[in-house]
Amino acid sequence: MRIKAKFKDGVTTVKAMAKHPMLSYIQAKKKGKEANFITYIVGKVGDEIVYEASTSQFLSKNPYIKFKFKGGQGKELVLTWTDLSGKSKTTKKKIK
Amino acid sequence: MERRKFLGFGAGILAATMVPASLSAQNYRETKVDLWKIKNEKGKPGVNAAIKALFGTDKVEDGKVKLKAPDIAENGAVVPVSIKADGASRIALFQDGNPEAAVVVFDVPKNGIPDYSLRIKLQQTSDVTAVAEIDGKLYKSTKKVKVTIGGCGG
Repeated sequence: MRIKAKFKDGVTTVKAMAKHPMLSYIQAKKKGKEANFITYIVGKVGDEIVYEASTSQFLSKNPYIKFKFKGGQGKELVLTWTDLSGKSKTTKKKIK
Repeated sequence: MERRKFLGFGAGILAATMVPASLSAQNYRETKVDLWKIKNEKGKPGVNAAIKALFGTDKVEDGKVKLKAPDIAENGAVVPVSIKADGASRIALFQDGNPEAAVVVFDVPKNGIPDYSLRIKLQQTSDVTAVAEIDGKLYKSTKKVKVTIGGCGG
């Protein structure tokens, strides 16, 4: 996952893009593949959850997300996604 | 080797279920399984049913939610959407143009700021609806997005 995390005036702004085909059921049927898409994304700083999204097949391919949270200066953001097949990927990024 | 991998995977799940309560996460794919199956049928969009499935009520007032989406999306495969709702504890996004109504559900964490952007797929011209829960009440904002090329392989 590509992540940009920037701290300014007490708030961290995160822009991230996950690499995932996000095949909806219709798309998968046409391609003769299994539907598979990210179903859950969670962002943490230390033990604290700062972002949480339950997602569907209707997010675009290689989903882009943007979110903000209070604090985070100098800390590390850990973003994890899980897809329908159960695969998950975690990416860490230091907040600038 | 396969067996080893499998065991490792199992241990990972076990560790994930043993996280302290402060970390307890809400994965609505698991807690609200039916929500994601609610269909949009011709003349009978599933948006209200989906709102009810998620929040327990479909009593929703207009306002307090700022929903930003294009008037016309040239490519339905990539439609940028922004949702902002000050004071919201939960935000959800629905539409009536794809086979199913639910798109995404955000739980706003303690230090989270309810200001989210993402890109979604729309198969055809749709009414996109954002719903926010603020102090136990539901508010919504709806926007029509005209799609010239569908984004769900349609």
